[in-house]
Amino acid sequence: MKLFHRVILTLSLGLLPVMALWSVLFYYGMVNEINDEADDTLGDYAQLVMRRVLAGQPLPAPNNGSNNSYSITPVDEDYMLRYPPIKYYDEMVYIPEKEETEPARVLRTFFCDAEGQHYEIQVATPTFERADLLETIAWNMALLYLVLMLTIFIVVSLVYYFNMRPLYRLLQWLDSYIPGTKKVEVPTDTSVVEFRKLSEAAQRAMNRTEQLFEQQKQFIGNASHELQTPLAILGNRLEWLVNTTSPSEQQLAEMLKMRQSLARLVRLNKTLLLLSKIENGQFPESSDVDIAAIVRDNIEIYSEIYEERGITEKVELPETYIVHMNESLTSTLINNLLKNSYLHNIEGGTVKVSIHGDTLTVANSGTEALDPSLIFERFYHKGGSDSTGLGLALVSSIARNYNLTVAYSFTDSMHTFSIRFNSK
Amino acid sequence: MKILIIEDDSSLREIIERGLLSEGYVVETASCYAEANDKIAGYSYDCILLDIMLPDGNGLRLLEHIKSLKKSDHVIIISARDSLDDKVTGLDLGADDYIAKPFYMAELSARIKSVVRRGAGSISNRMTAGNMTLDLTARSVEVDGKPLTLLKKEYDILLYFMQRPGHIVDKAMLAESVWGDHIDTADNFDFVYAQVKNLRKRLDAAGASLTIKAVYGFGYKLAEVEKQ
Repeated sequence: MKLFHRVILTLSLGLLPVMALWSVLFYYGMVNEINDEADDTLGDYAQLVMRRVLAGQPLPAPNNGSNNSYSITPVDEDYMLRYPPIKYYDEMVYIPEKEETEPARVLRTFFCDAEGQHYEIQVATPTFERADLLETIAWNMALLYLVLMLTIFIVVSLVYYFNMRPLYRLLQWLDSYIPGTKKVEVPTDTSVVEFRKLSEAAQRAMNRTEQLFEQQKQFIGNASHELQTPLAILGNRLEWLVNTTSPSEQQLAEMLKMRQSLARLVRLNKTLLLLSKIENGQFPESSDVDIAAIVRDNIEIYSEIYEERGITEKVELPETYIVHMNESLTSTLINNLLKNSYLHNIEGGTVKVSIHGDTLTVANSGTEALDPSLIFERFYHKGGSDSTGLGLALVSSIARNYNLTVAYSFTDSMHTFSIRFNSK
Repeated sequence: MKILIIEDDSSLREIIERGLLSEGYVVETASCYAEANDKIAGYSYDCILLDIMLPDGNGLRLLEHIKSLKKSDHVIIISARDSLDDKVTGLDLGADDYIAKPFYMAELSARIKSVVRRGAGSISNRMTAGNMTLDLTARSVEVDGKPLTLLKKEYDILLYFMQRPGHIVDKAMLAESVWGDHIDTADNFDFVYAQVKNLRKRLDAAGASLTIKAVYGFGYKLAEVEKQ
C-alpha cells in the first residue's frame, strides 16, 4: 500500500467516528435549542391566557389561526397535586384545520382563580418532527463528510506530493542504483532535515557498498592472480612426474586424475579472472561482430563434442546478425549460453537456437524449471553437477556490461534463455 | 642454447629450470630485477623468459632495457595477469611471445623452440618428427614429402602431439587444449577418442613413421610405428 493511500485511508477512518459523534451532539444540541425557544414562547402564551382568564378579558380563540392552541379545564385540587406544577413535553396533537396529527410541544400547568377554582391549562405549539430532523442531519452529515473527504483528499495530495518530492526522488534513485556503477549522485536538494538525513544515510550506505564492492572486486582479482603461480608450479611438477619418473599404471592414473582436478582449478580461476576483468570494464574496444556466424561455429563444435548424447539441433538464424560489441566477450557470451544448453541437456534432447528480430533465444530440453533468481549467481549448480557453475554468471555479467537483459523461462519442458541485442 | 629464467617464485623457477635442462638447454636463473639486470648486461642469451611481476621492479621496464641494449636476445613474457593490455604492451616493446600462467612445460618448450626458430631466420615455420613435417604457417602436413590432408581438429591434435614428443597426453588435457573454451569440466571425453582414431587411420594410411598410441587406456603418446 502506498504511503499516500494509507494516509488517506487512516484520515477517512479516523474522521468517521468523529463525524458520527459530532452528528449526535449536533442533533441533541439542536433539539435542546429548539425546545428552549418553544418552551419560552409557550410560557409567555400561557401567561397571557392565564392573565386574560383571571382579568376576565376575552380569550384568544382556541385556534386563532396562529399555530398556538390552548385548552383550559377546571380540575379539583387532588388532580392538580398529582401532577408537577409546570411540565413541558412533546406530544402528537390533532389539528382540526389540517385534519392531521402533528408533533407539538406542550406546556401543562395549573392556576387558580379568585373563587379558588383550579384550572389546568395546556398550551401547545407545533414543533418539528424529530425523525425528519434526524434524517436531514444525517444526510447533511454524509454530504459534509464526502465534501470534507474530497477537500482533504485534494489538499492532502497537493501538500503530500509537494512535501514528499525529495522522498520520491530518493526512492527513484534507490531503485535505479546498481552497486558498482556509481553513476548517479544521491539527490540531496532538500531543506527538510529528515529527508536530508535520509539522503545522507543513503549516501553513506552507497559509499560503503561501493567500497565493499570495489574491495571484493579487487580481492577476487588479486586472489586469482596470486593463485596463478602456485597453479603453474603444481601443473609443471605434476607434468614432470608423469613424463620423467616412469610411474606405474596405477600411479599414472592417479597423477592424471590430479592433473584433471588441477585443470578444473585453473579453469575456475581463469573464469573468475575473466569475470573480474569484465566487471572492471577491461574490454573497452568494440567492433562489428556477426553473432549468427559465431552461433553456427559453436553449434558445429558442440554437436561434435556431444555427439554421443544424440542431441537434435533446431537452428533458425538469419544470414548475418551484426552487433557492435567486444569480439572476445561476444564470443564468450554465445559460447557459454550454448555450452550450457548442451551440457545441461537430457539424453536425446533438443537444442533450439534462433534469432528473431533482435532477440537471440537458446533453449534446451530439461525436466524441471530452475529458480530464475539463482541461475545467474556464481557457483550455482543444480543437482551436484560437475560444471564450474560460472557459465551463466559470465553470460549475465557480459550482458550487464552492455545493458542487455537475459531472460529465463521454462516452457514446454525447455529451459529458454533469451537476450535482446541492440542491433547495428 | 642458453636460456635465462627471470622469475621471483623459487619453486616455479626451479621446475622450469629442471624442465629446460632435461631438454638439453643451458639454463641460468635470476630471481629479481637487479640480478636479472646484471646477467643481461654481462651475457647474451638465446631466449629470456621474463616474469613481468617482479618484487623490485616491473618486468616490462626490464624488457625496455633489454631492447635498448640492441641485443638479439629473444624474450618470452610470463605473466600471472592474463591481460590483453600487458600482452599488447609487451609485444609492442619487442617481446617475441607472451605466455600466461599457469602454463605447461610442453607449451613453454614449444614456444621457446618456435621463437628461436623464427629468430634463426627460417622462412617457413616448420616442425618435423619422424617422416612427418608440419608447416605451422600454412597449417599443412607432409608425410615423406607427400601432402596429407587433415581436418582442422585432426591437424590441431597432431600439432599438440608434435609439440610434446614422448609426453603422455591424457584425453582431458588434449580436449582442453584442442577444443579450448568449448570444453567443460563436466564433459565426457569420448569424442576425443573418435577424433584420435580418425587421425591415427589417416597417418597409418599415409605411411607415417609415427603413430598415436594409447597408453594404459587413458592417455596417448606420439610414438614410432613398431615394425612387424
